[in-house]
Amino acid sequence: MLAFIIRRLFSTLLVMGLVGIFIFLLLHLSPGDPAAIIAGDNATPAQIEAIRTSLGLNDPLHAQFGRWALRVLNGDLGISIFSNVPVATLIAQRVWPTISLALTTIVLAVVLALAAGVLAAWKAGSLLDRLVMILSVVGFSVPVFVVGYLLIYVFAISLRWLPVQGYTPLSEGLWPWASHLILPSLALGLAYVALIARITRTAMLDVLAEDYMRTARAKGVATGPMLFKHALKSAGVPIVTVIGIGIALLIGGVVITETVFNLPGIGRLVVDAISKRDYPIIQGVILLFSGVYVIINLLVDLSYTLLDPRIRY
Amino acid sequence: MTRRAATSRRQFLQTGLAASAAVAAPGRLTAQSAPAAAKTIRAVMHGDLTVLDPIWTTANMSAYHGAMLYDTLFGIDANLDTKPQMVTKWGASDDQKTWTFELRDGLKFTDGSPVTTDDVIASLKRWAARDGAGQHMMQRVTDIAKKDDKTFQFILKEPYGYLVDALGKTSTPLCYIMRKKEAETNPMEKITAYVGSGPFIFNETETRQGVRYVYDRNPNYVPRAEPASGLAGGKVAKVDRIIFENMADSQTALAALQAGEIDFYETPPIDLIGQLEGDSNLTLEVLNKTGNIGWLRMNFLHPPFNNVDARRAMLYLLDQEDFMKATFGNAKYYKKCPSNFGCGVPMENDANTGWFKEAPNPAKAKEFLQKSGYKGEPILLMQATNIDFMRNAADLVAGALRSIGANVQVASSDWGGVVNRRAVKAPPDQGGWNLFITWADGNAVSNPIALAGHAATGEKAWFGWPSDAKNEELRDKWAVAGSLAEKQNIARELQENAWNFVPHVWLGQWVAPTARRKNLTGMLAVPGVVPFWNVQKA
Repeated sequence: MLAFIIRRLFSTLLVMGLVGIFIFLLLHLSPGDPAAIIAGDNATPAQIEAIRTSLGLNDPLHAQFGRWALRVLNGDLGISIFSNVPVATLIAQRVWPTISLALTTIVLAVVLALAAGVLAAWKAGSLLDRLVMILSVVGFSVPVFVVGYLLIYVFAISLRWLPVQGYTPLSEGLWPWASHLILPSLALGLAYVALIARITRTAMLDVLAEDYMRTARAKGVATGPMLFKHALKSAGVPIVTVIGIGIALLIGGVVITETVFNLPGIGRLVVDAISKRDYPIIQGVILLFSGVYVIINLLVDLSYTLLDPRIRY
Repeated sequence: MTRRAATSRRQFLQTGLAASAAVAAPGRLTAQSAPAAAKTIRAVMHGDLTVLDPIWTTANMSAYHGAMLYDTLFGIDANLDTKPQMVTKWGASDDQKTWTFELRDGLKFTDGSPVTTDDVIASLKRWAARDGAGQHMMQRVTDIAKKDDKTFQFILKEPYGYLVDALGKTSTPLCYIMRKKEAETNPMEKITAYVGSGPFIFNETETRQGVRYVYDRNPNYVPRAEPASGLAGGKVAKVDRIIFENMADSQTALAALQAGEIDFYETPPIDLIGQLEGDSNLTLEVLNKTGNIGWLRMNFLHPPFNNVDARRAMLYLLDQEDFMKATFGNAKYYKKCPSNFGCGVPMENDANTGWFKEAPNPAKAKEFLQKSGYKGEPILLMQATNIDFMRNAADLVAGALRSIGANVQVASSDWGGVVNRRAVKAPPDQGGWNLFITWADGNAVSNPIALAGHAATGEKAWFGWPSDAKNEELRDKWAVAGSLAEKQNIARELQENAWNFVPHVWLGQWVAPTARRKNLTGMLAVPGVVPFWNVQKA
């Protein structure tokens, strides 16, 4: 397994390298000029040109790429064109809200979705099953921002139970931290719950139809252990795969959720950077996201060995 | 494949929990003492503060930031009159070629060092290198000389009536006074330390770039004795802390205001104003009375708009009412305005506005377009789709042009794309353009020198590169004029000439109400900047 992990880590570096080249070219070849945005609308073309020169944006593309790549290889993601703050510092400032949101969403979504999917499969064809499936379709169809605004209207403005926006670090107390994450996690997690619940139901239906499950029932194994201990474990591989794939969904959703709930996370950082054409931030964050995504896929692959003893690397 | 000891589920869970605990660890371990909520104002402004050097950029957010921590030699009051701020006494020699200024007592930077003329002169030079009005001024300046630590002089080649107004103007960049150390930074590079002598101190420790910008009251600031008025008078900070929260989503900002999580929202969307008007906890107020002016820019370098008749066609074709209704809806917040300097400002006039009384007159517009020699070549109109006014206005311009037989191609992109392409001087089919839409601050428009778009210096001019010698002669004349009446007369001449050579077409003037919690009082009305001194929170 160690050889497998080492091979995959090397391939991660290769993927990140390709992502780096692709994103650099995409950004520099698409329209938009950070110098013009920095200078402001009242600036003359000569002033904008001076800023372009001072930022090195008039250098040949290969020279700009070479400079950036060299810095990245030395562990330096560069400096924001606008704020002069190192990209690594900006990411470090923004990483905790994003991690908090992602973790609470995953935990919430996995717990809710597994329970809903298992119950729907157990009671297949019943009203409960239909209800879970209808909610899954709704959850998957309604955009994150619509869910977000509805939650804000109901729970923050009308009932005043929870804050509208913002983030409070865990160091300032568990409730202040959690209260700022409940609505964003629900908004972001809904589509995720729908996705996992549907896959869980399908996988569970297959497993529950297996002979050994009938045998287990015949031997008097209680429903709870039968569903959650035996069947769910056997159905685990596709479910874990979908959870992993869903992380990509989550990364996209985080960007919108952080904007709607004004969470100062990495999603907001990259959206703001895109609108300003702050190239080093965009490149740095996308490189980071690609690395995270590849590593999550690796972890998913490794988890298969826990769920299915036949799988070994 | 090599079989190895598999990780147990328990180990797996333990590792997972440990990782969760690690990532949920506090992001900020040291809590700093913060003022009580009643002494803190949380404000959402119109955008993010991306550049902290207010001289380096013309971005309004940088000007707001500058107004918090730097002071100015002069400032305009609520009536748009220029009044002394850091200056106590000033005057000109009999020949109007030597102006002497004396700094008032008690001026100190927040690092404790006194403000001296060395700081002022270095700041003036850096500002003048970046600012259009400053450059215009410096063409007439022989020297800025230090007499002593508190007195300096402008030595001019010729009388220049606009001198004091330029030093106190609110169009960006404003003439902020910095320490000599920062002011000696190359004007093409950004400063990296932010130490001012204004009513607030920039709290860099609490600031998070792109999230929030924190300003604390400067306890050592000595305000003028006069009552606060615009950027003039006593700048008394009445709360301990101001926080500019960067909130990208307008719905969220609105909800936060209604829930009391923020105190002030500078630019609530006009279509949601009705919703706010019904909220008894909120006050709506227009602080920038001159507002903004929508603007169609034409490219003088390429057909058809290199021909004055094609440009005149646009004057007759477009109805400002359509543009205002399409985006702003509520007539309470917009007006049609034919003046080349905007309406509700000292330079407003009605010279040569016959076209305005006729417009829209598509038949006449078509006649002018044909007279220009237009033969159906594609007209490339750039459209910024991510900004409501620009998107709607481009659709209206395209529709109006098509109605008179023009072949319009709309190039849609985000504003960043427009900003990039508008700098291209090549013909439209080689990456250039014919038309684009933007807007400008009404106070800047009211000033023939301050707005870069008023210059018609050909290839050196603002995008569109209009060229007109008479315009430049009159702008120079306006700048040296001494009295308001004289300036107003020249403004008439400028407008008479402008609507003959048509450097641009206005699309209407609008104001945007700000929204705030009722317990916030003392907001000052002034164009260009939102000041937070004089503001109290009950």
